[in-house]
Amino acid sequence: MLLLACACLVSLTFGGSRPIPVKDALLVLAGQGDAVSRLLINTLRMPRILAAVLTGAALGAALGAAGCLMQTLARNRLATPGIVGLDNGATAFAVASILATSTSLLPSMLALSGAATAAVLTFALASGSGSRGYRFIVTGIGVGAMFSALTNLMLSQAPIDAANRAYPWTVGSLNGTSVVAIRALAAGLFFGLPWACLLGRQLAAMGFSERVSISLGVRLGALRMTTLAATVWLTALGVAVAGPVGLVALIAPEIARYLARQGGVPVLNSAWSGALLMVVADWAGRNILSPIEVPVGIVMAIIGGPYLIWIVLRQPDRRVQ
Amino acid sequence: MKRFEVPCIGDAMATLETRDLYLGYARRMVVNGLNLHIPQGQVTVIVGPNGCGKSTLLAGLARLNKPRSGAVLLNGQPIGSLPTRDVARLLALLPQDASAPEGITVNELIRFGRQPHQGLMRQWSSKDQLIVENALHAADLVELADCALESMSGGQRQRAWIAMAIAQDTPLLLLDEPTSALDLGHQIEVFELVRQLTNAGKTVVMVLHDLFSACRYADHLVAMKAGRIVIEGAPDTVVTSALIEELYGVSCVLLKCPQTGTPVITAIQPLPHKQQKQQGQTEFVAEEFQC
Repeated sequence: MLLLACACLVSLTFGGSRPIPVKDALLVLAGQGDAVSRLLINTLRMPRILAAVLTGAALGAALGAAGCLMQTLARNRLATPGIVGLDNGATAFAVASILATSTSLLPSMLALSGAATAAVLTFALASGSGSRGYRFIVTGIGVGAMFSALTNLMLSQAPIDAANRAYPWTVGSLNGTSVVAIRALAAGLFFGLPWACLLGRQLAAMGFSERVSISLGVRLGALRMTTLAATVWLTALGVAVAGPVGLVALIAPEIARYLARQGGVPVLNSAWSGALLMVVADWAGRNILSPIEVPVGIVMAIIGGPYLIWIVLRQPDRRVQ
Repeated sequence: MKRFEVPCIGDAMATLETRDLYLGYARRMVVNGLNLHIPQGQVTVIVGPNGCGKSTLLAGLARLNKPRSGAVLLNGQPIGSLPTRDVARLLALLPQDASAPEGITVNELIRFGRQPHQGLMRQWSSKDQLIVENALHAADLVELADCALESMSGGQRQRAWIAMAIAQDTPLLLLDEPTSALDLGHQIEVFELVRQLTNAGKTVVMVLHDLFSACRYADHLVAMKAGRIVIEGAPDTVVTSALIEELYGVSCVLLKCPQTGTPVITAIQPLPHKQQKQQGQTEFVAEEFQC
């Protein structure tokens, strides 16, 4: 939370062509400061940054929580929505809609149904998440590959303008998000996050082998279905707003686990970590190479990949499944 | 010998029996028309050769395998028709392949035993805490409560699992080869713990490979072969050299432990012809029920 506030402050200070000293920025936030700084911060930067931060945080939270749920569901830390094809499904559907119609809300709706389609396909083809999740992951990678191929095929056949419009959907970006989509994300998260946390409590027993969890009175079938539904819901919300930024779903739970250092399913922590990661990645993408804005999905891969490797290497005593 | 303090808080009773039970996997029937009544408040031990269906039967008793036909009755009702959480308050199973979430501590593991008693409305209570502490004591794990399960020896780990089943506080406990990875000392500790549990009114069903332990600790011995019960009853009346020959296809000498009177089986040599014939019978039985 504190880190999030600091990130906002840093954005306020440096988030433009004319840097404002931290002291002045704080003064403005307290309702004082000189006129130029006030104008810059209150009317120009504040709304933009707030919007970016809120969107990023909501998106990261949704994807972080979704990643944590799916990892637990499949009993495998590789099993994140991005890897089992949900992101690709959403992208394929969204790109298809842009190439066909080019309206603004429809891609989001279709991304949602794309993610759901991919999830249902994977789950049905793998006939459940299985005991160790290999089957589920391999099937998911297959389904994801098909959707990704479909996306590329469509992009290669489309006229260049349409392909350009569809491009943000293939890399993951917060730049072209519509207000409606962001509102939908916020509303969906309002239900989705408490739901995920509630599921997280029940999912704690999923770490046991199947026979043990049944013996403990867990209704495995029902729990799996609801968890999958929640995962699709959260992932689809995120992907519908920003395209595939799936790596956050892989990294956020790792950070959460690293911070928690004990048992349980860290859904809420994953959501927090995801939110923070996304905000930082978005900020970095906008500012580091300014005036070029790097899509957040690419930044996530650049900083996220090495960080993930570092986290896993740091805990050699823990089993990496 | 250590004295165990056995927690005996739940006073629920439960009967468990099978009616003409058939269990199987994809194309193979493993348990063939079994009628078994588990005597309450006693230790029932199921023995038999590999593949005779004893573990499958135990899983069936714990609703993990759905009957092909017939029924498992818990308190007179088909176990599959009862809500699984209600069943978990009456019956705990410790399977052979038990694996836990990574990084879990002994205390956390045992706390999971209380899960069937928890709910949205019913939070962690002092009673739960008491039961967990009792289970820790019973399994002699108090000093190890905060150790990671992964870092412990096989014997300690097995005791932790049994403690979790104890914390589930069910009148029925099903244990699938609870001592298979343990040395003699730890085996005896587990069996003594089991005996204490039955003394406290619990009903225990175990699958065991070791015939000596089975004879020593069973009140009721069930000998299985090819998915059927060959004979059942008190060990010293049931166990004969003829039974051992029939079950395992070995000739043997039967002794009596001078102190406990327990039958002790010393295998002499295999009986190749008889074994082959019996395997033929098994296959015939299995084919009979292919679908």
